[in-house]
Amino acid sequence: MRMILAVMYREFRIRTTSLTWIFYDLLIPLLYLLIFGIALNRTISSGILLAGTLVSYNAFFLAGVLSMASFGIALNTAYGFFVDRDNGIFFEFLTYPMTRSQFLIGKILFNCLLAVLQAAITVAFAAVLLEIPLMWDRMGVLLVAVVLTTAGWFFFLSSFALRIRRNDMFNTFMNLAYFVLMFASSIFYPLEGLPGWLRTTAMLNPLTWHTEMLRFATIGADSPVLLETLAFLVFLLASFYFALRTLRYGILK
Amino acid sequence: MYPMTIGTATAIVAENLVKVYRERSSAPVRALDGMSLEVKSGEVFGLLGRNGAGKTTLLRILTTLVEPTSGLVSVLGFNVQKEPYQVRKNICAVLQENAVELYLSVADNLATYARFHGIPREKARPRIEAAIRQFGLEEYRTQKVIDMSGGTKRRIQVAKAFMVDTPLMFLDEPTTGMDPITKRTTLDALRVESSRGRTVFLTTHILQEAEELCDRIAIIDHGRIVAQGDLRTIKSLASNIVDVSLTFSEVTDRLLEELSALPLLKLTRRHNSFDFSLRGKEQSALDVITRLAASHSIMEVEIRGATLEDAFLELLGRDISGTPGEEPRS
Repeated sequence: MRMILAVMYREFRIRTTSLTWIFYDLLIPLLYLLIFGIALNRTISSGILLAGTLVSYNAFFLAGVLSMASFGIALNTAYGFFVDRDNGIFFEFLTYPMTRSQFLIGKILFNCLLAVLQAAITVAFAAVLLEIPLMWDRMGVLLVAVVLTTAGWFFFLSSFALRIRRNDMFNTFMNLAYFVLMFASSIFYPLEGLPGWLRTTAMLNPLTWHTEMLRFATIGADSPVLLETLAFLVFLLASFYFALRTLRYGILK
Repeated sequence: MYPMTIGTATAIVAENLVKVYRERSSAPVRALDGMSLEVKSGEVFGLLGRNGAGKTTLLRILTTLVEPTSGLVSVLGFNVQKEPYQVRKNICAVLQENAVELYLSVADNLATYARFHGIPREKARPRIEAAIRQFGLEEYRTQKVIDMSGGTKRRIQVAKAFMVDTPLMFLDEPTTGMDPITKRTTLDALRVESSRGRTVFLTTHILQEAEELCDRIAIIDHGRIVAQGDLRTIKSLASNIVDVSLTFSEVTDRLLEELSALPLLKLTRRHNSFDFSLRGKEQSALDVITRLAASHSIMEVEIRGATLEDAFLELLGRDISGTPGEEPRS
């Protein structure tokens, strides 16, 4: 545990050296919700049918915003491997008295705390400013879901960040992958109206499972959340295994 | 005193170590090719070799960064492949790349390192102060590292290794980029660590450093150890080489021509002085000097036995004879 705390402390120190970073991490989801969400809320004024009831687009989109936000934090944290490599400190870290799993877990845990704080701010503003009716009794579920999903994506992205040597290659690859993942998911729209092939793709997309877990925890969902949660847990464990394997054997072949 | 060993008098044992790097885009590279070596506890061990000889690969294996393709390797009695965590608990490493937190201050860099190595805050504070003093970092204490020179970053990196108590210390060309004063401080500090029983494993290009510091030396080439032993043993491999320094009252074209015609192993010039090595015993050197003295005025003469550099060149079979008219390359 001491080593995990040491890695968390280091992440905290690095993050707090840049106010821009903190601003980005904490407030960008709000901007998504306030600008993109409000605009679409006006456009789709009839609302969206969810679990047999009509909800506003803002309410529907809230889970999507939280989803994008925790994915963003995971992506930034994985990108941190490139920064550490440029600073030369990455390989030195790997000689410190800790296991590879302590390193990975410590690195994401601080950022999970950041993701929870970010979600709390977003949810509070969503309730106060946009008057989204939230299921307050499920906030504990939301907290756990934010932590698990942020960690899951971090482990998934780490396998690539650790294998790919050039950060421009990583950025290009991630932009493309994120584009596909985001639009073939339930972040922006419900899956019911999608063409069959896109719907099937979206249902197999971990970002859909992620978003539906958060939707269940905020306004309720009509998808098989339990199954999606289990699927995401499998995705998380598999990603952790591959990230660990990459860190052990894949960084300097 | 450091816990010199953990149940063993040998700090490092490598047997028949092979490492092949495989990249999809290029042919496999055999960085280590059946390399074996042994480092005793409490000694300063120097690994020498030219660029690409396999020094850094060996260091990466010993510090658990990469796994060997085959062979056995243990550090302080722990199998590097099976017990990497145990190995990491007992080592600290100064790698070739400058490894610093660019956005943290010098003091915070040291504090973060101390935390990673489990040094409690109350013990860390005096150690951080001592390291800052020892490596002349007082004026940078609260400054962020990002704007500092490469040499200062290197000082911070090396200072970190002196704050911890691990019984084994790895240093990959630690004095690279340092000014002569800090270089001297680092070498002195390493000697102190060694006298306290700490094992130091050092790779360096600077042969004088190795000659001054190391109890034993290994020379690596093409992934194999070509010589291993104490300084005297290594030097004896070049026992048929003598080094000569001559200072002439003036340097003429004829002198340069005569020097060019000699079968020298190396030749460097500084103003009117020439340093060269030639194969043979002292008598050969005297013969050459006598011949030169017949037509040129020699002001100073010095004949020395083989140096580590001679042994290095002899073993690696390199001919670095210069052109007599050229100044030595720095």
